[in-house]
Amino acid sequence: MRVLLKVIACIDAFNDRLGRILSYAVLLMFLVVLSEVIRRYVFNAPTVWGTELTQLTFGVYSILAGGYLLRWGGHVNVDILYNRFSTRTKAFIDILTSVLFFLFCGMMLIYGSILAKNSIAIWEHSVSAWGPPLWPVKLMIPFGAFLLLLQGVAKLIRDILTLAGADVKEGS
Amino acid sequence: NVEAAESQKVITWKSQSHWPMASSSYRDSLVAVAERIKERTNGRLVIEPHPGGALVPGPQVFTAVKQGMLPIGVTSSAYDLAEVPIFNVVAGLPLNFAAEWEGVYFHQWMGFEQMVKDYMLENHDMLFFTDKIYTTELSLKKPVRTFEDFKGLKLRSSGILQKYLTSIGAAASMIPGGDIYAALASGMMDGAHWGAVQGSYSMKFYEISKYHLRPALNVAATDIWLVNKKAFDKLPEDLQEILVSTLEEHFWLRTNQYIYLESLVLSKIQREDNVTLITLPPEEYAKMQKAALKIWDDVAALSPECEEAVEMVKEFNRKMGRID
Amino acid sequence: MSIELLTILFFSTLIIFLLLGLPLAFVLGGVSVVFLYFTWGPEAFYMVVLQSWGVMNKFTLVAIPLFVFMAMILERSGTANDLYDMMYLWFGRLRGGLAIGTVVICAIFAAMCGISGAAVVSMGTIALPSMLKRDYDKLIAVGCINAGGGWGILIPPSIIMILYSLITGESVGRLFAGGVFPGLLMLVLVSVYIAVRCYFQPELGPPLPVEERGDWLRKFRSLKAVILPVMIVIMVMGSIVMGIATPTEAAGMGVLGAIISGLVYRQLTRSLIVEAGIRTFRLTGMIMWILFGAYCFTAAYQGMGASRLIESLMQYVPGGPWGTIVFIQVVVFLLAMVLDPMGIMMICVPVFLPVVLSYGFDPVWFGILFIINMEIGYMTPPFGFNLFYMKAIVPPSITMGDVYRSIIPFVIVQLVGMALVMIFPEIALWLPDLFFD
Ligand code: NA
Ligand code: NA
Repeated sequence: MRVLLKVIACIDAFNDRLGRILSYAVLLMFLVVLSEVIRRYVFNAPTVWGTELTQLTFGVYSILAGGYLLRWGGHVNVDILYNRFSTRTKAFIDILTSVLFFLFCGMMLIYGSILAKNSIAIWEHSVSAWGPPLWPVKLMIPFGAFLLLLQGVAKLIRDILTLAGADVKEGS
Repeated sequence: NVEAAESQKVITWKSQSHWPMASSSYRDSLVAVAERIKERTNGRLVIEPHPGGALVPGPQVFTAVKQGMLPIGVTSSAYDLAEVPIFNVVAGLPLNFAAEWEGVYFHQWMGFEQMVKDYMLENHDMLFFTDKIYTTELSLKKPVRTFEDFKGLKLRSSGILQKYLTSIGAAASMIPGGDIYAALASGMMDGAHWGAVQGSYSMKFYEISKYHLRPALNVAATDIWLVNKKAFDKLPEDLQEILVSTLEEHFWLRTNQYIYLESLVLSKIQREDNVTLITLPPEEYAKMQKAALKIWDDVAALSPECEEAVEMVKEFNRKMGRID
Repeated sequence: MSIELLTILFFSTLIIFLLLGLPLAFVLGGVSVVFLYFTWGPEAFYMVVLQSWGVMNKFTLVAIPLFVFMAMILERSGTANDLYDMMYLWFGRLRGGLAIGTVVICAIFAAMCGISGAAVVSMGTIALPSMLKRDYDKLIAVGCINAGGGWGILIPPSIIMILYSLITGESVGRLFAGGVFPGLLMLVLVSVYIAVRCYFQPELGPPLPVEERGDWLRKFRSLKAVILPVMIVIMVMGSIVMGIATPTEAAGMGVLGAIISGLVYRQLTRSLIVEAGIRTFRLTGMIMWILFGAYCFTAAYQGMGASRLIESLMQYVPGGPWGTIVFIQVVVFLLAMVLDPMGIMMICVPVFLPVVLSYGFDPVWFGILFIINMEIGYMTPPFGFNLFYMKAIVPPSITMGDVYRSIIPFVIVQLVGMALVMIFPEIALWLPDLFFD
């Protein structure tokens, strides 16, 4: 039990730390977009990388957000019925419905890994005029799915402990 | 008896193009081929057409066919240059040819297409067919009369042509398809290429851009058909034959039809939208082509097949007396 | 299994798991995986990743984090609060005045932003705390933001209109022009509804207490609170109209404007930026993961043969031009309750458009009707995207049930608006005809 709690705490902390770092990426996107607009309009010299760098940053930012969000209960749900249940019933239902979660997340992980593997096999570069490496970005898909999966496992452990009668605080 | 049952079985193949529903190619290529095949196989092979994005995003058709998710698909070779270097030549070197027939000759008589077919079968387990030869041309808000006029021109481009246009002094940027119209209207861009006349027309560029520029930036078989080898092998032999012959015949039918439609739409926009066709004289074409040779050599350096293919393009142009 | 039966099974599974409280993103993704397996086979699982990769590559979505970040800074720096103080001083006598002010700002925001999710989240951040603080009823406050946030796709620029033009080949310019007056009509109708409702039930949108109503001097002083927001609007819209930036890049100008106003307010601390960044990350991630799931869901449905269903539905058209139009709108409205707008468009438009054209209707007018319908669909339960986005930003005291309840009158009002555009096509067509013919 203590080990389990420790595992949960580690997963929480990891997603937390990563999320805090990633949240700065919005500043990067803003600065790149702004500089691209200025370069194009003022100097008539658009970069070949501006739009694509923003795009790739945005993609990584989004896919890695999954775990952090789950850690803070940030994925929205419909709580009309759900809120009427007791804590233990909620835990029980969450364990049941987590099947769908694991299916989705698992497919993301498995097929994301295949996608990334194929990309790494040719050290894939973008076909744009800039041509940055794409494989690190594609690698973020299975990584993002893995982070989400970890957090899902943490949530499952919490739910099982709750069902067993332990008092485990959510998202703390 | 088993054979009889086998010959009656209906095989349904999901398929998808990178073209959206509104693109005339969706109807004239994907749907047309599906209908022809259905008819010729007496309904035994049904190809179910889907437009770009319906099942997978447009740029992912290659992966979907390769992985066996889709047995057959149509895509742009420009999406998969990283995975298949020779697609750089399929998608069109800048200023490679001066007319459609030259591209047809290069593919079918000089053996370029067979070379790609062999390469794709061996390295990617896919059958390869080209959809048609067509040109890529600029539609512009400002006239371009000489090679020097490209300097400082704000153009929407992508891929190898963006590299080329940048190298000759244009301010070429990649903005997403959906933003181009607004960018032209607001003056952010002076011009864009989206296929040639029909493509620009379908994107409504001529509401704003009143000049259409020739020569073409390239002449190529950018749109390609891919068939998963495993799925193909599972077809009865007669269906295999019908599929292959229909696709090969389609190249000729569609290329000719496409050239006709280009002329038709060009005459329409000249009359209805007051579009002026500018054709640069041969000496300007020569300057444009000369500026492209550096990019040809970059492509040649990518792989042995690329080197061979670029040499074939050069050979053709040498015989035409255009390059040394 | 027939596509009719599959559809029922597919959507009821979706709704059951939603009601069981599993987050929307995972319901969409998970249900897709299960149905892909049974209707297509395991080789189709690759789609989950390909669709997600496709969503990661949509440049237009970059506007979401930028606009949300802008809104966060405006809210935390006090800009938004001062704007509401100003509105309260000027329109405080008017019952429901702040809610009307909010929908006006929504309409302006819609002209800056082509994605309704960004509009709802941003406006919710700016307007909701300001209205709740001034004792506005939570249902009016949430409902008007939900309604106004949806106009992002009706008032140009609009991503959905661009998609419609890609599917149908209609002119983006004509569609953009066609959305202007219907958007303004919605603004007027919703404002009138709020004014009338609050006139009779002042507790919903309480007027400013008499003793707090400032003199003219105070009123004019408060006007300086509009300077910065107006500057931001000019920066964003100006850069689109003048050809400085694409609609997506213009969101970056909005952030620049917000940062400038933060500096003017001397509130632009490191902690403000960090906090705004984290909240932006959460909201953007929430929207993006819903989109990952939604794109799989739509693609899975298309793979099952969704367009066959729509084609076979067309056999039940009651006949006659108006019967057809009304029937189509009903079908779209029902689909919009469970499916995402992009998906509806891809599945329905190719089937409906030829029929509509054969009756001689204008495709731009039909597109505008379709988009109004989508926009209402964005806010109809059980699966209106905007409802979920709203749920993510409301304080815990507001439940999903409240959000659902809040939109009922606004849906009815906007249905009236849609009927008006249907009966008087000039509302949509006058402006495009003026510009393009
Ligand atoms: Na808009
Ligand atoms: Na809906």
